[in-house]
Amino acid sequence: MAGEPLFRKRFTVEGGDFARAGEASVEIKNILKEVGYDPDVVRRVAIASYEAEMNVVMYGEGGTVDFTMEPREVLLVIEDEGPGIPDIGLAMKEGWSTATDEMREMGFGAGMGLPNMKKNSDHLKIHTRKPRGTRVEMIIRSHPPEGHDG
Amino acid sequence: MMVEDRHSIRIDEAKCVGCVICMKACPTRAIRLRNGKAVIMSERCVDCGECYRVCTHQAVIPLTTSFSDLKRFDYTVAVPSPSIYTQFGWEVMPNQILLALKKIGFDHVYDVAWMCEMVNAALEIYIRRNPNPKPKISTVCPSVVRLVTYLYPDLSGHIIPIESPRELAAKLLRGQISERLDIPPDRIGIIHITSCPAKMISINEPIGLSRSHLDGAISLRDIYGRLLDAVKDVTEDIILQQSSGVGLGWALAGGEVNGINMDNCLSVSGVSDVIQILDSVESGKLKGIEYLECLICPAGCVGGPQTVENRHLAKKRGEILVKMFGEKSRVSRKMINRLYEDGFFAFEKRVQAHPFPPLDKDPSRAIDKRKMIEEIVPILGGRECGACGAPDCKTLAKDIVMGEAKIEDCVFIDDSR
Repeated sequence: MAGEPLFRKRFTVEGGDFARAGEASVEIKNILKEVGYDPDVVRRVAIASYEAEMNVVMYGEGGTVDFTMEPREVLLVIEDEGPGIPDIGLAMKEGWSTATDEMREMGFGAGMGLPNMKKNSDHLKIHTRKPRGTRVEMIIRSHPPEGHDG
Repeated sequence: MMVEDRHSIRIDEAKCVGCVICMKACPTRAIRLRNGKAVIMSERCVDCGECYRVCTHQAVIPLTTSFSDLKRFDYTVAVPSPSIYTQFGWEVMPNQILLALKKIGFDHVYDVAWMCEMVNAALEIYIRRNPNPKPKISTVCPSVVRLVTYLYPDLSGHIIPIESPRELAAKLLRGQISERLDIPPDRIGIIHITSCPAKMISINEPIGLSRSHLDGAISLRDIYGRLLDAVKDVTEDIILQQSSGVGLGWALAGGEVNGINMDNCLSVSGVSDVIQILDSVESGKLKGIEYLECLICPAGCVGGPQTVENRHLAKKRGEILVKMFGEKSRVSRKMINRLYEDGFFAFEKRVQAHPFPPLDKDPSRAIDKRKMIEEIVPILGGRECGACGAPDCKTLAKDIVMGEAKIEDCVFIDDSR
């Protein structure tokens, strides 16, 4: 059993496809509901995965969202081949954004992406590689779904 | 958990031909075909009426109150949905319609749009005093409230605990009439005139009340013929309509929001748009919105499945009425404040979440079953045809792991596999 996750699913996210943006996070959320996770965990994963997915759509020029259920946590790994985050310190500040006017007109780019991801996860790690590529890892701890011991 | 015949809709087996139309239209995937007939899974149904709207064989039967039920009472009161004012063309005024309701047999008729106007003021007080969690979700559409507590259980706390105008009207009238005319409260029949069957579920099984104040809901469609005759020669000269355009606007999507004196309130109508916006709320995407008016029917109650008029015409008529009677509320803020402090508008009990049960009580088995669904889906044809009796391939896969269907039910599966 060691090393083998309980459940794993990988989603491909197209860069710049705002019409379909958010589909992966909706499916992740629905899977957690079907399995019977606590609503609070579902909400935190929904927000964290949505923000990460949107970053791939807006800046990442496409990538993947890897969703894993472990006995006591939900793991989200988001990878893209975009230009990376120039200044993580700034990006963590609420309201700071490099969104273009076009993105802002569509209601995105409020500068809450990374702060929301941090707020809704128990562990957030960002690797930004030069010249390209970003890997975001998030862990959301869960009590095991209802009815489980421990 | 709940009584079985609480729903507002049933399938007439004799008329059902076993086509897939209602099953495909159902937003909560609550319909299956079993032995060639549609079956509604009671615990998944939110009473939205989409199946009733799409059925071409009159096999979906709304279970609204019949007109002859009025005989059960000593005194009858009609509390019509404001959408009724949009159903009689361009010449007939709201007051005439209220008088016509008296003429066809109700002892008393109340302009619910007036209560809508009062509720508008109460909503505003509540939102200002309780800004979080954002956004608050309206309680007017019974299907939306059920959709939230079933599919978005974590948003149950967003449902604004202010009762709907139809219920509040009934509460007010029963007390007043009983006292004034000395009739026992239970001998008074207070009946909603409805544009959708969903109101029946909120009467049979209210969310915020221990018991509904209404005694039933008659479909507008069922009494339309009588009313059409009656409006032609209304002679009585009494003013029953008190409301301004603020209350009248509640017939339309956006009416509730327009009556709240705050900028960041949003109106969404139509089942797929409502689902989409609730997903956005859950993802934390809808920042800064204070109040969300969600209505299952397109264009709001004027688009209800038991209306008669074309909904675009009805919407236009509603807009004209709003202009005609003005967008300045006529209710006294002082009176509203007093009623609010007395708890007149408030829910009697907390909203309970009713999430669909997980795939298995045992979480590791639930995850295993979810994994099996992922494995089964690609084997199925992917044509989403519904011939198996489930609305789509993923739902069939789910039914298979739950032991409610077999993989052989798929007509596209390769036997030589």
